[in-house]
Amino acid sequence: MKKGVMVLGCMVFLLVFTAFAWAEEGVTGTEIHIGQWGPQTGPAAAWGSVARGTGDYFKWINETGGIHGRKIVYHMFDDGYNPAKTLAGVKDLQENTGIFAWASGVGTSPGLAVKDYLMERKIPWVGPAAGSLHWVSPPHKYLFAVYPLYYNEARALVRYAVEEMGKKKVAVAYLNDEYGKNGLRGAIEELARHGMEVVAQVPVEQSDSDMKPHVMQLRKSDADMVLLWTTVSHAVRIVGTAKAMNFAPQFMSTSTCSDFPLMNHISKGLWEGVICATFGELPDSDHPKMQQYKKEVFEQFAAKEERWGMFYAAGIIFIEPMVEALKNAGPDLTREKFVEEMEKLTGFKGVGPEINFKPFDPEDMYSRQGTRQTFLVKSLADGKAERLTDWITLD
Amino acid sequence: MDMKRGYYEDVQLVTSPVVFFWLVVLLVTLLLFPFVVSNYYVYVANYIAINIIVAAGLNLLVGYTGQISLGHAGFFAIGAYGTVILMAKAGMPFLLALPCAGLVAAGFGFLLGLPALRLEGPYLAIATLGFGLTITQVIGRMTLFGGREGLHAPDLVIGPWAVDTDRQFYFLLIGMTVLLLLGMRSLIKTRVGRAFIAIRDADIAAQTMGVNIVFYKTLAFAVSAFYAGIGGGLYAFVLRFIEPEIFTLMMSIMFLAMVVVGGLGSLMGPVVGAGLLCWLDLKLRNILNIPFLGDWLETLSRSWFSITGVSNIQYIVFGSIMVAIMLFEPLGLYGVWLRTKQYWRTWPF
Repeated sequence: MKKGVMVLGCMVFLLVFTAFAWAEEGVTGTEIHIGQWGPQTGPAAAWGSVARGTGDYFKWINETGGIHGRKIVYHMFDDGYNPAKTLAGVKDLQENTGIFAWASGVGTSPGLAVKDYLMERKIPWVGPAAGSLHWVSPPHKYLFAVYPLYYNEARALVRYAVEEMGKKKVAVAYLNDEYGKNGLRGAIEELARHGMEVVAQVPVEQSDSDMKPHVMQLRKSDADMVLLWTTVSHAVRIVGTAKAMNFAPQFMSTSTCSDFPLMNHISKGLWEGVICATFGELPDSDHPKMQQYKKEVFEQFAAKEERWGMFYAAGIIFIEPMVEALKNAGPDLTREKFVEEMEKLTGFKGVGPEINFKPFDPEDMYSRQGTRQTFLVKSLADGKAERLTDWITLD
Repeated sequence: MDMKRGYYEDVQLVTSPVVFFWLVVLLVTLLLFPFVVSNYYVYVANYIAINIIVAAGLNLLVGYTGQISLGHAGFFAIGAYGTVILMAKAGMPFLLALPCAGLVAAGFGFLLGLPALRLEGPYLAIATLGFGLTITQVIGRMTLFGGREGLHAPDLVIGPWAVDTDRQFYFLLIGMTVLLLLGMRSLIKTRVGRAFIAIRDADIAAQTMGVNIVFYKTLAFAVSAFYAGIGGGLYAFVLRFIEPEIFTLMMSIMFLAMVVVGGLGSLMGPVVGAGLLCWLDLKLRNILNIPFLGDWLETLSRSWFSITGVSNIQYIVFGSIMVAIMLFEPLGLYGVWLRTKQYWRTWPF
């Protein structure tokens, strides 16, 4: 009798044990654990709303039934834009809590500090919040980028300036880092297609505060279109200095500077007329899905001081494809299945650009760079936006 | 029993069987540690060990020589970049590249020590601050250093041994930390260390007694920078990626805080200071998991602070702990240890 109980006990134990062994890390019968880092303090705190937007979006998904009966448990932590803390936080959550997949995450250097760690462990990561080429060259099987490449944004802007506005002399002011150089490269290549050249390339350093020498150079080149691939504050200062120096070309800029209410506020209205590329439907557009998010996600779940702006919306835009793939993966969720479903996303349309992934090909960066689309908007007075184009696809 | 009859006794590590016993216990604990805890804590230990190395070096400057530096992130950066570049571009093995990069940092430390001969207090603080900020600017503009795009650390191979997990790196790191701390101890407890202390206490008096101020002040800067450089070189392999933005002013200030909170002018000070501050910096967000208190803090921060609330609370608690330590124990954590030791030594009186 006693022996029987022992054997039965052992069998039950084994069954329970194997059941646990089979389950995927970060997934239980009722929960899916998703993690994200986002600077809430430090130099990049303004971008912190991305991670908060994702959090509210997940709350809404849970409220509306979750994913195949599972709730998303969202683990967000503040890394203060310090890569050592990003890596520590990711390891902590991954090893002590167990995260199924990582969502978004602001910043190139925090992201690069954890990339190897996640990829070696085959943990999926969707939608890093930076248009860097680092994510996709070379591509990694478990890393999916949904942010339009800065390079492609620059091409779309230059194409529009040359073909639609008839601009003849294009100059570029760029931040002297990878971000700025990607923009510059896009501009040079697109102009070359039209048999043209950049009339002035003006590097801006992170620490530069006086923009007069830069604007001088731009003015000397007699440019009629100036592409600004700098930080928000540098872009605003260049526009302001140009105004003071009576230099009035058409200014164009990247998606990083496309939060028009913010840009108009800090430039005291000077951002009016600037044309930007953007990575998603505008938060205040009448796009039905954006309106739905505003009403059901933002108004219901956001903290009371949160602003309904581009960065907050970005937290939803970058994550939509991930949620879609989670839904498609069905009730037996595993990482491999999730990756398979991510790969099957073609022509997926949320509030961001059209998303197309392909089965993993180490030679093809577009197997993991989900979009080649962007569209252009013009800043009007009071931070309102006028949509200039439909989504532009770059080949 | 504390009577010492010669300088050699000061340097002696093992003074009694009891000390020997505890040293063995410490070493065995350090060796077993990575096998007992999860990988995450090994990473945390690595992170702390690097900070201990830098804090120990900074303590030599601030605690023993009475100088100040707000530019140690600069030396840290030089060490990190130096090691990576010497390995990737010059093909040096790690064990050679690391001390070489440390020596480069020491060279810069020597140069920074020169103005320190004429500057004191706040003026020296500003001079070193300027150095720390300039270094990252210079690095960010040079293509050899990868500019603002940063550099990836090469694979770490020592002889036949490929170091690619946190555990393997731990053994390398702990070995170096122990060696560097022992080196620091020997330095402090001999002639050179006594010269440093003399300069700290009264530099004119020291000079009258024949201490060469020019030599010893610049030496203090150089040794301190060497330690920071070694720390930086190791840090590059913890992150495996470095870029100028990582080495901020905040980093320099944290190094200084570690030394002060730990206890100025003591060997154990930087160890406990770096341990505590790194631990709090990484783990303080977990206060929100404490039942009741966590919920209360969250509501408090959400209703009275900005939307980033929770992180504000984290930094307020962090700051309060530092203020409390300074307020109640001006000697830092080392002071607590001293008093505990004293209490037991004189017990029951």
